[in-house]
Amino acid sequence: MDILGTILWPIKWVIELILVGFHTLWTAIGMDPAAGITWVLSIVGLVLIVRAALIPVFVRQIKSQRKMLEVAPQLKKIQDKYKGKRDQFSREAMSRETMALYKKTGTNPLSSCLPLLLQMPIFFGLFSVLNDAQHDKAGVGMLSRDLADSFANSELFGAPLRATFLDNGGNPLVMVIAAVMVLLMTASQFITQLQIMAKNMSPEAKNSPMFRQQKILLYILPLVFAVSGVAFPLGVMFYWLTSNFWTMGQQFLVIRNMPTPGSEAAKAREARLQKRGKLAPPEPSTGATIVIEEKKPAQRAQPVGKSRAKKQSGGKKR
Amino acid sequence: MKTVATFLLLLPRNIIVVLLRIYRAVISPLYGDVCRYYPSCSGYGLQAVQEHGVIVGGFLAARRVARCHPWAAGGIDDVPRRQPARYGLTRFGFVVPAGHGKA
Repeated sequence: MDILGTILWPIKWVIELILVGFHTLWTAIGMDPAAGITWVLSIVGLVLIVRAALIPVFVRQIKSQRKMLEVAPQLKKIQDKYKGKRDQFSREAMSRETMALYKKTGTNPLSSCLPLLLQMPIFFGLFSVLNDAQHDKAGVGMLSRDLADSFANSELFGAPLRATFLDNGGNPLVMVIAAVMVLLMTASQFITQLQIMAKNMSPEAKNSPMFRQQKILLYILPLVFAVSGVAFPLGVMFYWLTSNFWTMGQQFLVIRNMPTPGSEAAKAREARLQKRGKLAPPEPSTGATIVIEEKKPAQRAQPVGKSRAKKQSGGKKR
Repeated sequence: MKTVATFLLLLPRNIIVVLLRIYRAVISPLYGDVCRYYPSCSGYGLQAVQEHGVIVGGFLAARRVARCHPWAAGGIDDVPRRQPARYGLTRFGFVVPAGHGKA
């Protein structure tokens, strides 16, 4: 067994357990064990379990985002300090101070790359399970040779789950289904990204150079997905698609109910709550203080001696 | 002769620098800012490899990625500096013998 295979082995084992578990469940309630839809629903079940297992991570992220409200004034202070400074060193210093504030107050809103890293082996594990099944090999655990065979050859709308857009065995239906799925995947990815960028970013984040880069990628990425999507078996694409839909729904709920402070979505939520009378309208006085705060110079002015101060004010004739 | 030796010595880490720069330009922005540390894991890896070479730097970077999970406190976490600095960096991030590029 090669290194990659060894790393993937436990993951494949768990994937097979979940897949076969769901397959048994669907069969038990009367679905055709050899039908594509039964296997597709098993894949959907796999997605649900994987994404549900990642919910605690997500909840933690939301909790710290709520705590962000408390540190918002301090965060704003940092952002004001570096307002209009685009050079690399100011940017770095700003990220540094922001990160130090997060740590001090325990409000780090970022989730680290672990959730992403965890999903990748699952994706490749599923790919590998399907690939083995296609070559008539039994899985590493629960997926017996018969089940693997049934999985790989089961058909949905007349297209086998193991087929890819490129390796379609001369079946035009595979190409049609794959193309539709690539389109759906691209669309869901696009919508998810777009709703984050359009609604759930604070004005400060929108002014960062990172944002512009992301904006360009928003339009390039779908192309990348479309190109890479043609090489995956339909079964793997079902996993990807379902996962994308989950992300989209999750993102929608979060943006609606727990938006990033200061973003468009946060304003919309406040307006909604005010309409329902659940939130007192902002008092005019608080608005005024914020305006005054914004007028403060970014950096402390040098103290000026009494005599010089007189001269300066005298010179301006005000 | 010495130049060739230095070039060969620095080649592995400069290859990694190119790979990390590509990663940071193309793949990183796909999922936005997620790292709980400053510098981010890829930024840390880049600095670590520039400063300590592929083996030690790679080890430092691997330890950092292992440290970076949703339950970590995060915060500022810089690469341990190597004193005195032996090499300089170009604007792109290539490691060059001291005296070339900006130190």
